[in-house]
Amino acid sequence: MVNVLAPGTTGRARAPETAGRRAADARGRARRRQAVVAYLFLAPALLFFAVFLVLPLGFALLLSMSRWAGFDLGGIDPVGLDNFARLFADGSTFLAPVLTNTLLFALGTVALALAGSLLVATCIDKLRFQGLWRTLYFLPIVTTVVAVGNVWKYMYEPGGLVNGVLNAAGLGSVAFLQDPDTALPAVVVVQAWASVGSAVLILTAGLKSVPGSYYEAAALDGAGPLTVFVRITLPLLRPSLLFVCITQFLTGLQSFALIVVMTKGGPGDATDVAALEMYRQAFSYGDWGTASAAAFVLFVVVLAVTLVQLWIFRRKGEDA
Amino acid sequence: MRRRRFPWVSYLVVVAGAVLTVVPFLDMVMTSFKGPGEAGRLPYRFLPEAFGLANYRAAIGQLNLPVLFRNSLVATALITGSVLLTSSLAGYALAKLRFRGRDFVFRLVLSTMMFPPFLFFVPHFLILVHWPLAGGNDLFGRGGAGLTVSIVALTMPFLVSGFGIFLMRQFVVAIPDEVLEAARIDGAGEFTVWWRIVVPQTKPVLVTLGLLTFVDAWNEYIWALLVSTADPDVMTLPVGIQLLQDYVDPARTMPVVMAGLVLSILPVLVLFLLLQKHYVRGVMLSGLK
Repeated sequence: MVNVLAPGTTGRARAPETAGRRAADARGRARRRQAVVAYLFLAPALLFFAVFLVLPLGFALLLSMSRWAGFDLGGIDPVGLDNFARLFADGSTFLAPVLTNTLLFALGTVALALAGSLLVATCIDKLRFQGLWRTLYFLPIVTTVVAVGNVWKYMYEPGGLVNGVLNAAGLGSVAFLQDPDTALPAVVVVQAWASVGSAVLILTAGLKSVPGSYYEAAALDGAGPLTVFVRITLPLLRPSLLFVCITQFLTGLQSFALIVVMTKGGPGDATDVAALEMYRQAFSYGDWGTASAAAFVLFVVVLAVTLVQLWIFRRKGEDA
Repeated sequence: MRRRRFPWVSYLVVVAGAVLTVVPFLDMVMTSFKGPGEAGRLPYRFLPEAFGLANYRAAIGQLNLPVLFRNSLVATALITGSVLLTSSLAGYALAKLRFRGRDFVFRLVLSTMMFPPFLFFVPHFLILVHWPLAGGNDLFGRGGAGLTVSIVALTMPFLVSGFGIFLMRQFVVAIPDEVLEAARIDGAGEFTVWWRIVVPQTKPVLVTLGLLTFVDAWNEYIWALLVSTADPDVMTLPVGIQLLQDYVDPARTMPVVMAGLVLSILPVLVLFLLLQKHYVRGVMLSGLK
């Protein structure tokens, strides 16, 4: 390695301003070298973002306004906003049922996961061995969607566990995934089941930050458990609840792997959601233009929800 | 203070929830032991008639499990190694090195987290298919299958993580400047500073990031499915097992599928149980999964 300080030692005998300039030069060189090193360290990431973020976004935007058979890059045929227009045209299935399914899927997941995790989190807070419970509730999160989807698909079968329980209770069997009316709720239950664990984690952390003195004061005033929950726990937990709500909603809008595994969008298009529709347009029908247009429509929805989230939390930050 | 009563209701709720969470896993394990014709038979029975290992043998044979395991492991290891390396290097540069454009690059990294993954399935696939001078392609990406016919294709869209860089930067910032400056005065170059000081100091968060990345990569399904349709040789565990489920008579193969699933989720479950504190911290840091 070159010792940048070496010339400075000989310069000590010379006029002070020369030495000062040399020191400044050395500092400048060190700074320039730091910049070179910094960009060297950042190079893999920047290169990656150029090829796998900027380029694909531009490419997808181009495709969303083109018709293309997918072979020769020269054969991309620009068609303006035709792909978007066709998505929203009369008789298109994109608005209904695909987008409505997407919203129902996301909302249903949020509602179920929130109710379940709120109940569990407030109860866990009073127990010992919280680590053990958390471990159990976390199991679905570290399990691949293929395992989760297949186990539940099997449990929903006529000879599976869910119908076994129904039959044992004297009820008739339900063809959960084959009936268009029950397929979407059945998938929602699985998605909620798989996401309760992380929601419990966030809410438990939120509960820990509620001062114990609030509960003691409420107990002195003779408040019952329900009053304490509604008047103290819920309001103080609001930031955590809001966070779980929005992030879960965003995940719900985008996820389709579970549906690919369990129903492939069927029966009919009862469980077809936007991201799955995009996937099928592209990889089943080779309609890259429509697929890209659908992706951007969903992206706009996701972006809008994200901006609402940022806005809410920024406002919260100013209040505090 | 008054002695608190034993929280019966809370126990009831938490135990009921835990049972609901665990029962599907138990059902998977029980089904994996059931004999031919036993799974799906009415009335439903939770326990198998006998605990035989026939389904596990069948899973290993029919599913080509050793190859699937190898592919999953290679892809996961490549992704995890790359994410750790690039996040740590970039995080250090953004936290502690002074250079023009630092704020811009940091903002760029933050903005990458805004784009949802579904936006990229189509363009990523097309970019890999038309990768110039690979897999029989010419300079303009025509003629062949591009990079899709290699195990690298499984990993490429996941090699760098905006969240990973952000996370590492937040933790490297906390290292005192004096420590780094002292090393530099001792003649250490930036690479040495990074390797000798930054990496050891950020070991816990590296474990967290590595674990999160490992679990995600091991469980990834949609992208692996796309790449595997182009080249069955690079099939991963989730894709291979789902394929068996899709194409063979479900009633007969369900126990075999379950056996394959049990084997495929074991590595991640063991890793999670050993390092769960790190994993839980990771979920807290990344928000929700």
